[in-house]
Amino acid sequence: MPAVKGDGMRGLAVFISDIRNCKSKEAEVKRINKELANIRSKFKGDKTLDGYQKKKYVCKLLFIFLLGHDIDFGHMEAVNLLSSNKYTEKQIGYLFISVLVGGTSDLMKLVIQSIKNDLVSRNPVHVNLAMQCIANIGSREMAEAFGGEIPKLLVSGDTIDSVKQSAALCLLKLVRRSPDLVPMADWASRVIHLLNDQHMGVVTAAVSLIETLAKKNSDDYKGCVSLAVSRLSRIVTSSYTDLQDYTYYFVPAPWLSVKLLHLLQYYPAPEDATVRNRLTECLETILNKAQEPPKSKKVQHSNAKNAVLFEAINLIIHMDCDANLLVRACNQLGQFLQHRETNLRYLALESMCLLATSEFSHDAVKKHQETVITALKTERDVSVRQRAVDLLYAMCDRSNAEEIVLEMLAYLETADYSIREEMVLKVAILAEKYAVDYTWYVDTILNLIRIAGDYVSEEVWYRVIQIVINRDDVQGYAAKTVFEALQAPACHENMVKVGGYILGEFGNLIAGDPRSSPMVQFQLLHSKFHLCSVATRQLLLSTYIKFVNLFPEIKPQIQQVLQNENHLRNADVELQQRAVEYLQLSTVASTDVLATVLEEMPPFPERESSILAKLKKKQPGKLKETMEPREVKVSSNHTDTTHTAVAEPHPPPQPTSAIDLLGLSSPTQPSNSVPNSTPGGTGLLIDVLGDLSGESSTDVPSSVQKTVTPTPGFGSVLATDHFSKFVCKNNGVIFETDLLQIGVKAEFRQNLGRLGLFYGNKTAFAFTSFLPSVETPGCLESQLNIQVKPMDAAIESGAQKQQMVNIECISDFIEVPVLHIQFMYSGVLQRVQLRLPVMVNKFIEATEMDMATFFQRWKMLSQPDQESQKIFKAKNSMDGEQIKTKLIGFGLSVLQNVDPNPENFVCAGIMHTKMAQVGCLMRLEPNKQAQMYRLTLRTSKGSVSQRLCELMETQL
Amino acid sequence: MIKAILVFNNHGKARLTKFYVHYPEDLQQQIVRETYHLVSKRDDNVCNFLEGGTLIGGADYKLIYRHYATLYFVFCVDSSESELGILDLIQVFVETLDKCFENVCELDLIFHVDKVHYILSELCMGGMVLETNMSEILTRVDEQNKLEKQEAGISTAPQRAVSTLKEMNIPQRIKDIKLPDLPSIGNLKF
Repeated sequence: MPAVKGDGMRGLAVFISDIRNCKSKEAEVKRINKELANIRSKFKGDKTLDGYQKKKYVCKLLFIFLLGHDIDFGHMEAVNLLSSNKYTEKQIGYLFISVLVGGTSDLMKLVIQSIKNDLVSRNPVHVNLAMQCIANIGSREMAEAFGGEIPKLLVSGDTIDSVKQSAALCLLKLVRRSPDLVPMADWASRVIHLLNDQHMGVVTAAVSLIETLAKKNSDDYKGCVSLAVSRLSRIVTSSYTDLQDYTYYFVPAPWLSVKLLHLLQYYPAPEDATVRNRLTECLETILNKAQEPPKSKKVQHSNAKNAVLFEAINLIIHMDCDANLLVRACNQLGQFLQHRETNLRYLALESMCLLATSEFSHDAVKKHQETVITALKTERDVSVRQRAVDLLYAMCDRSNAEEIVLEMLAYLETADYSIREEMVLKVAILAEKYAVDYTWYVDTILNLIRIAGDYVSEEVWYRVIQIVINRDDVQGYAAKTVFEALQAPACHENMVKVGGYILGEFGNLIAGDPRSSPMVQFQLLHSKFHLCSVATRQLLLSTYIKFVNLFPEIKPQIQQVLQNENHLRNADVELQQRAVEYLQLSTVASTDVLATVLEEMPPFPERESSILAKLKKKQPGKLKETMEPREVKVSSNHTDTTHTAVAEPHPPPQPTSAIDLLGLSSPTQPSNSVPNSTPGGTGLLIDVLGDLSGESSTDVPSSVQKTVTPTPGFGSVLATDHFSKFVCKNNGVIFETDLLQIGVKAEFRQNLGRLGLFYGNKTAFAFTSFLPSVETPGCLESQLNIQVKPMDAAIESGAQKQQMVNIECISDFIEVPVLHIQFMYSGVLQRVQLRLPVMVNKFIEATEMDMATFFQRWKMLSQPDQESQKIFKAKNSMDGEQIKTKLIGFGLSVLQNVDPNPENFVCAGIMHTKMAQVGCLMRLEPNKQAQMYRLTLRTSKGSVSQRLCELMETQL
Repeated sequence: MIKAILVFNNHGKARLTKFYVHYPEDLQQQIVRETYHLVSKRDDNVCNFLEGGTLIGGADYKLIYRHYATLYFVFCVDSSESELGILDLIQVFVETLDKCFENVCELDLIFHVDKVHYILSELCMGGMVLETNMSEILTRVDEQNKLEKQEAGISTAPQRAVSTLKEMNIPQRIKDIKLPDLPSIGNLKF
């Protein structure tokens, strides 16, 4: 038995005791500074230090570092120790370097030289030290220096086991950090065969390496599946007796089993029947063992056994093909839910979350609903309660939504602060997704605001307003409910916001009842006004002006409020502006104008719930499936009817309306940091209020129907054109600076297109000599026929002018038309140049076809120049729905049931030009593991295939 | 992958920090403090896993820890590691320390930081599990000790003959680190 202490360094021990005896922090700092000075002078001194002294001082520095003090010297001495012949000195040198020297240090060249010497040492202990250092630092320089050597060491027959182990992990680090510098393709089969190595430690290290390599290049390492299965089988079915000392508390090689089971999760279920049966047998054995009485009462025994069991269950869920195994796994987890070990309850809840997303086991998971709810209420540990919330969210479907939402709401009253916001998001999503009856939805959200108002984020109340506006059957009820909620003596500001907005739009629906007459509504809202923040007050002013239109009888009272000096001279510009403008509007405008300007909000375009996007952002690491409660296929018929009724609010997002009305950055374009508050669905009125500036970002859903509302303060300095954002959509802001904003709205039909350009003057001065022109570079002139309609040469301060551009596509094209604008702004000539969003894909019209037709046409387009293919890394989210939205926005139809692999997309469309029609077929194969796409386009014209391929690539 | 291994005492004083991902020194200190803050306020019989702090990786990272008498052993790992597996690894680490130091206590960690690092480097390398078999680990540590003894030679022998620790006035020599259920090595070979 090794006893490592006893012959320590005396000076070090004295120093440490001194520090420990210090009575105060000051005394400690003083002692440390004294020591640092001492060490520094020793290092600088003339007397050469022997290895032992150097070692002692380096140890002291390490100790000082651990106490939290910066160490800015001693590095050179540590590097010198590396070249010592004495193992102990070498060792401390390496230790110092791996703790205190980052990969970028100037000394790295010297370190690398020392490592080189040690790697070829005949003493394996030295070799291991060197490799540990590489594995700890793993810089690019090291990858360059050793990327070629270490694989050889790993697969060579002469290398001893402990060195092989280190070599595998060392290589793993280099592959992770600098995959380009470590060519592993040639070594694949030899690395895979390490799975058969005699020494279990070598296999454990090798599995880690293979896992990382397989993640990067799964095809090359496919062979590892059968080897891993047979190795696993030999361990778990115990036909294998040579376990050396790798049995841990009666469990055979638990770490290796876990690693092997994890590795297999990078591949689909094995296709080969023998391998597959063997794997099933392993998994069954593991499940069976869980039922056997424990061989030891020690917690280590059950830990090790269960570590293997949980990884096996993860693999079963990953393969998601064997209903029998899935249900058994679920039952096993069910047992753990009631286990007295908190750890097991935690893990069981976590794994069950994954199980809930499988159609085979969804129902089995639901059986445990009661237990999970009890866990939510009674668990002492917040981590466990958090998992219970996750699971309830994942297991929710139409049949149990009402109960689960009710329980979550009830729990929310006492929930831990740390998980409230996330719970609110989840409740809001479930309530929306599974609402059969929208009055229930409205009730739920208002309850949510009542119970946890502080944790209700903007997205949640934006969303309830979107839904109420889009569904006229619920508007009256919403107005009534929100009116009642506002009567509570203390209500949350978010409630006032929702109330203000909804009453401003639909207050008339309840005005017939004398208890909620216009005056009562107005007074109720105004009684909250002074308790609210500026943003809410701004919103309420908009509600008031809407009331002027809805209830002309209370106009005098409202004007009185608007006239209030506090508002007209408010320090907040936006509030002041609204008060002034609304007052003016209410006095100047005729009823007709009022009715037009203050018309009810048009329905919002349907799109992915912004709440879901927020939740995804909160939990980036979580699996997509668990995030989005999945529509589980239920065979019984009665649910199908409700399904259609409720599916309505979630039609596939329409690309043309994918603009973000509320100014939340759209989840499909995470790169878009500039919120596009672009024109609403109805026509683009010139902004009557001339209010182009000063719209603060907090009150974007102002009830007044403003048209272009740029948001200054957001990247206003940068004049970027957002050309690439318009490949898959037609509307939005394409250009914005401090001076000028340009919005685009485009329509295309067959080979014709019409572009509406909206120029907004953001400044306080008029633009004059405003002169836009369109240039068609190169041969584009003969390919596109562009007609630019004339427009006024002046744009007043804060005004918006519209210009139409007609386009006819003569033949397919590659270049992009360029818009040149010049204008005078306070005497200075300004020039702007941007690319118009007219690309060849705009002239594609989607077509539907069945599988047979698709493949027939696909084969017909098999000449090499008709096909264009690209393989590239995903730049955006690989979520299926988002990809689909983009493809539809691109102009193609997404064909269902054509590709045998449901992950893939196949699309078809016809491109119209005046000269010809070009059939376009596309196939997109996402590989989520590798975060890669393969995109194939086939059209009857090579140049079109190539151009479409390029365009599509930019969007993924 | 293991991102960091931290050992600190009940008062948050770091006794061992090992980062497998490079962080600037001041951030390392902050991470220790944040982790201590997260872990120390938890009861002893709640679960051993919690979502990571903000400094060291956020939601995809978990802290897996064990509390032994005066010391917390915390491993920060990503989602590819088995929680229970890491919990066992902590146990192996502590059992190994216990064997090497003959009833390990906090003071051993303080006075022999270097040794603790060497033992750890036999278990983990570059953030991955290197070896889990305790007898294998002990053999390798033993080899190193032999080398050290050889190199120490005769010159320093007289100095070392004096029992260093006895002379020094160390106040609390607490031997109270309690390991749950320590079996002897012999029991392991079944």
